Amino acid sequence: MSPRSSRRWALAGLLTPATLLLAGCFLVPLGIMATYSVLSPGLYGGVEWEFYPYNYGRVLGAPLGDAEEFDPVYAGILLRSLRLAAVTVVVCLCLCYPAAFWVSRLPGARKNLVLFLVTLPFFANLIIRVYAWMLVLRPTGVLTRAFDAVGLGAHAPDLMFTEGAVVIGLAYVLLPFMFLPLYASIEKLDPALLQASSDLGASPLQGFLRVTLPLTAPGILGGSVLVFIPAFGNFVVPALMGGAKVMLVGNTIEQQFLAARNWPFGAALAMLVLGIILIAMLAYAWRFGRVDGAVRP
Amino acid sequence: MRTDRADPTPDLEKTSKRAVASPSFAQSQTLLHIRGARRRFATPEGGEVVALDSIDLDVHANEFLTLLGPSGCGKTTLLRAIAGFEALDAGSIALDGQPLADVPPYRRPFNTVFQSYALFPHLCVADNVGYGLDVAGVPRQERNDRVGEALALVGLAGLERRRPRQLSGGQQQRVALARALVNRPRLLLLDEPLSALDRHLRQAMQMELKSLQHRVGITFLVVTHDQEEALVMSDRIAVMQGGRVQQVGAPGEIYDRPVNRFVAGFIGNSNLLSARVTERSGDRVTLASDGGLVLHACHHDLTPGDRVDVLLRPEQLRIDDGTAPSGVALEGTLETSVFVGADRHLRIATAGGDRLTALARHVAGERESRLVVGERVRVTYLPEGVHVMRSAAP
Repeated sequence: MSPRSSRRWALAGLLTPATLLLAGCFLVPLGIMATYSVLSPGLYGGVEWEFYPYNYGRVLGAPLGDAEEFDPVYAGILLRSLRLAAVTVVVCLCLCYPAAFWVSRLPGARKNLVLFLVTLPFFANLIIRVYAWMLVLRPTGVLTRAFDAVGLGAHAPDLMFTEGAVVIGLAYVLLPFMFLPLYASIEKLDPALLQASSDLGASPLQGFLRVTLPLTAPGILGGSVLVFIPAFGNFVVPALMGGAKVMLVGNTIEQQFLAARNWPFGAALAMLVLGIILIAMLAYAWRFGRVDGAVRP
Repeated sequence: MRTDRADPTPDLEKTSKRAVASPSFAQSQTLLHIRGARRRFATPEGGEVVALDSIDLDVHANEFLTLLGPSGCGKTTLLRAIAGFEALDAGSIALDGQPLADVPPYRRPFNTVFQSYALFPHLCVADNVGYGLDVAGVPRQERNDRVGEALALVGLAGLERRRPRQLSGGQQQRVALARALVNRPRLLLLDEPLSALDRHLRQAMQMELKSLQHRVGITFLVVTHDQEEALVMSDRIAVMQGGRVQQVGAPGEIYDRPVNRFVAGFIGNSNLLSARVTERSGDRVTLASDGGLVLHACHHDLTPGDRVDVLLRPEQLRIDDGTAPSGVALEGTLETSVFVGADRHLRIATAGGDRLTALARHVAGERESRLVVGERVRVTYLPEGVHVMRSAAP
């Protein structure tokens, strides 16, 4: 065997486990979901094996026959999910950008400590962390008592089971996904460039807009994608902190599969979510894959 | 520059007096006054480094001034303090008599060529050069004209749309120069501008920077550790060491008449001997080196017994052909003879342990080229070529 072909065999051997895992645990289930989304719901759960595209019609309102009626509630839920995911991205961005700047200017050892602290919440269970927020936000919770303590009890906001609570929860859970890519791109930013900008007469604001922002844009977009995707599909946070009042698409899908026992409709909703995320990802890859490729030597 | 404001009036007065005293002599018009500039840094180990230890320096309008010194001498800190990136602990920097303490870098009419060039990687060459004009709100047409002129000035016309990383090191430096010059600064600051270039390019750029300075008529303040570069380019050189300016003067003056051992050793090749004055008559002094050599020199301000440092440039030493009077000849053994192209460096060890380097032109058939290592040689010099400096307190 020539060295080249033996190397090829080694490569194939090394890649096989990952390929099998992706194919068996990702592509096959995805195929099942896609198939179910165009089947007819069974009377007591499960599916009937007949082609039935009307599941999509219920969400999108396309005139796909009268077997399922168009219900604007679902489109509303999709839009609300998109909106809250977008707000979560903005909140995370505003919190992380200055913090990432500060951390990037710390001396080495303290920098690593702060980075460790950022990832520390991952060590605690998600449900526990969300319950902690519920203890803070509920009407008799820490927040209300804090307002009472300073004599503003009457103005205490009732956040529990509102969109605000969902955004707080999502932003809290997803913050590290924004912080780390942002930090990576801000860390790479050469401070000499900002000095050059200042030297050339640019005010700090002009320097930020003309140098800092464009050069950290990959981090901003990367973090935004990483926060947007899980925020859009998340169902734990809206279930616990939004209750029945703030239904998001994640909860709706869960409900269709479990409570309503309408698997095809749940699968159709899930495929729509997947489609929207895919479009977002492609837009990101198209924009930044290309710029990167053009600049790289 | 917190303490900058403390007492600006004396400087202001000095400026106006000087301006009245010599209004016609353009070279002496002072652009920048630096007085008592101090700056300390805390080290990570908890210590303290004095980067600037009471610097007094005037930068004249239209001159090419070089801050020369070894690394850590404070030259870059001084440059950054002028640009506004570094605050002073004490002292003041004034432009046309106006203290700059509270003026942020972006309001100072100075531009910098950074050592790393600091070109904006996301902007093309034209947008890099036009950056200062863009943030100043210069109208589009004028902006484009001036960017074109600046790029033509540094010989980069036609590369407007390139990105910095698509350029060679030399081209990047030209972009950095154009980006600074296009704003027509009162003072151009250059931080080790040639250090990233290879030797040939560096020598070419030395001449080019000098001619560029003449053409644009802007004051250049260059930081470098390369004494040859400083000698070639500068109108004046400020030699720095240990946070202090050791000497300021024209290159020839610094080379021929250094004020102390440090300056003498840092600039050019040098034979430095420690000696004592033994005799004086008129402006002639006789010196005895610690290695037992007897030297004659010209100086009129020394008395017998004074400790001095003696500078004998290698090119002042001649290999004697047997005709020189014995009083001005030094004897020794040829230790090494190194061929460096046009010249030959001859190292001679004297009986007392002093070592002298003599410079001989490498000319075919000349006696110097035929000297053999180990041979006894006599070297001669002119007393006028011996530079004597009073030693610092022992």
